[in-house]
Amino acid sequence: MNETGGKKSIGGDFVIPVAALVFTLYYFSTIIDSPWTAQVAAFFIGAILIALTLLFLVKSAIAIGRGQADLGMKTLITPTGLLATRLGLLAITVAYLVLIEWGGFTLTTFGFLLAAMLLLNRGQRAGFITLFALAVSLGGYLIFILAFETRFPRGPFEELIQAAMQAGT
Amino acid sequence: MELQLDLYGPLFLHTLSYWWVIFPSIFLGLLVGAIPGFSAANTIIILLPLTLVMDVEVGLIFMVALYCSSRMGAGIPAILVNIPGTAGAAATPLDGYPMTKAGRGQQALAMSFVASSLGGLLTTVLALLTMPWLAQVGYYMHSVEMIVVMLFGISLIASIAARDTLKGLIAGFFGLMIGSIGADHVYATPRGTMGFLELYDGVPLIPALVGLFAVSEAFLVIEAQSILSRHSRDLLKTAGWSATLEGARIALARWWHITWNSIIGLVIGVIPGAGASIASFVAYQQSRTYSKIPEAYGTGHPEGLIAPEAANNGVTAGTLIPLLILGIPGGATAAVMLVVMQYHGVIMGPHLFSDRPDLGYGVFMAMAVTYLIMSFTILPLSRYMSKVTLVSTAYMAPIIIAFTLVGSFVPREYMFDMALGLVFGVIGYIARKTGYHVAAILIGVILGPLLEQYFLRALKMSEGDISVLFSSNLGNVLWVALFVTVLTPFALDYKRRRQRAAHG
Repeated sequence: MNETGGKKSIGGDFVIPVAALVFTLYYFSTIIDSPWTAQVAAFFIGAILIALTLLFLVKSAIAIGRGQADLGMKTLITPTGLLATRLGLLAITVAYLVLIEWGGFTLTTFGFLLAAMLLLNRGQRAGFITLFALAVSLGGYLIFILAFETRFPRGPFEELIQAAMQAGT
Repeated sequence: MELQLDLYGPLFLHTLSYWWVIFPSIFLGLLVGAIPGFSAANTIIILLPLTLVMDVEVGLIFMVALYCSSRMGAGIPAILVNIPGTAGAAATPLDGYPMTKAGRGQQALAMSFVASSLGGLLTTVLALLTMPWLAQVGYYMHSVEMIVVMLFGISLIASIAARDTLKGLIAGFFGLMIGSIGADHVYATPRGTMGFLELYDGVPLIPALVGLFAVSEAFLVIEAQSILSRHSRDLLKTAGWSATLEGARIALARWWHITWNSIIGLVIGVIPGAGASIASFVAYQQSRTYSKIPEAYGTGHPEGLIAPEAANNGVTAGTLIPLLILGIPGGATAAVMLVVMQYHGVIMGPHLFSDRPDLGYGVFMAMAVTYLIMSFTILPLSRYMSKVTLVSTAYMAPIIIAFTLVGSFVPREYMFDMALGLVFGVIGYIARKTGYHVAAILIGVILGPLLEQYFLRALKMSEGDISVLFSSNLGNVLWVALFVTVLTPFALDYKRRRQRAAHG
């Protein structure tokens, strides 16, 4: 928890309990008409979770009421200078997950590593990063797909190599 | 189940024949153990695609060797640069780092390696010899007792591992709730699935642990360009190793200290959720308490270094005991192992030792062989291991994200599971930043479906009578222990606040 002017910023601390509370209530809504066998364990666990969450909220409200804490979100977003980089990395990761289905492991991983490393290095050492990303993604392909035949997402690169190897044999 | 001493010899030789797996695993484990914030669990997750395609025995030996060696590797940066590689080595720098500052870094490393190897080897042998009796515990654990034990595990993590008990409990029960997602066991009614067909079978564990541990960690480590400060980097670059033999001699002369503290580690390791960080601090504390020169602790005293290192390696065998006997992981790495074993269709529990003794006893045999090999190989290599901490996070984080997310695709070949891994990564990141324990969430996710099964079984047998939960003597003892565990931190906190108020 961060402290500002003697006060703890506890806004970020609410995210997990509130998410837990919302999810539990949603979960209850999906079992309300179910047979008891589908309900009993969830109601047992959920009831304890709700009680714990409410206890946490009351405890936090008392701390805020006494002036010992505020609802600031500093805990979650510090260091603020890195917020854009972190969100950028998250966006690149989401793009990676979207594209890998079509691009396959090797090409998409190369693109992801290149973009993420350039972002984290603020665009510097582009040549080295390109070679490094290429080496890591090709290394991953060689070890996981070619050597161990791991079920990684396949795309144009993997298909091309497979076709070339089949043609060779 | 009886002590099968005749099995141990051939099994030892059989395990030794897997040296080609153990050697690289040791070096990999030392490497990742030395990276602060990283762990054996994360490495196994990163290498999950590899682990899942391996033969189950090879995979198990690989994980065990990695686990043992990473525990030892974590002490390297703790001693040299005051940065523990894992939480289990958090007590190591208390006396290790002052030794480095006094120019005795190499000696400290040697002491740490001897204490770790001997402590780990000793507790592994102890676990092997006592396993038949420990396994009996499993037969006394029926549905009611198992419900309490599972709640006990969650509560212990909350009260010991997490800084704030209430937050730890919320994290654990949130995990249990997430673990309850999926169709119910009797009527297949979908529950909490948010309309995703992929969740009808429940929450897949691999994306959960990939996200909670690895992805969240990757987003955290980018907060610094390097894991080390400039000062630490300079110290690391100039570290030497001239006093190795003297360090080994000092440690060997304190063999009783190593024995006693590694047993403390073994006992604490058996308790689900306690883990190496707790064991190392307990060991350090009791070592200082019974020392004739307690004032020397914290200034570079050899016993202050030996105690936590022997204890955190003693934990290694301990955490696997509840996993193998009860199917309840004693820590994060054990949880990852459980996931991998489940993927291979191996059922944990006392029957494992009669059905698959090669796996049940093999785990400890792999540990023994690993510690033996390490005691001969690690000393000359120690100097160079900590250099990996110089790798920039700008290269480390993207590699972690890419390979772990793809790893969560492997078991079911669902793109959905990769996205789920990222969702858990976000949950894990928020949890870590705000003081909720990700291990508590993960163990909750793992125990959620099991808890429901035992709950239903108990209620079916009692025809819906909820008082069945308090119908067994052992169960009632566990309930009392559970309530004491949950309430003690609050009581101590209250007492501390009263004392503080009384002192103005």
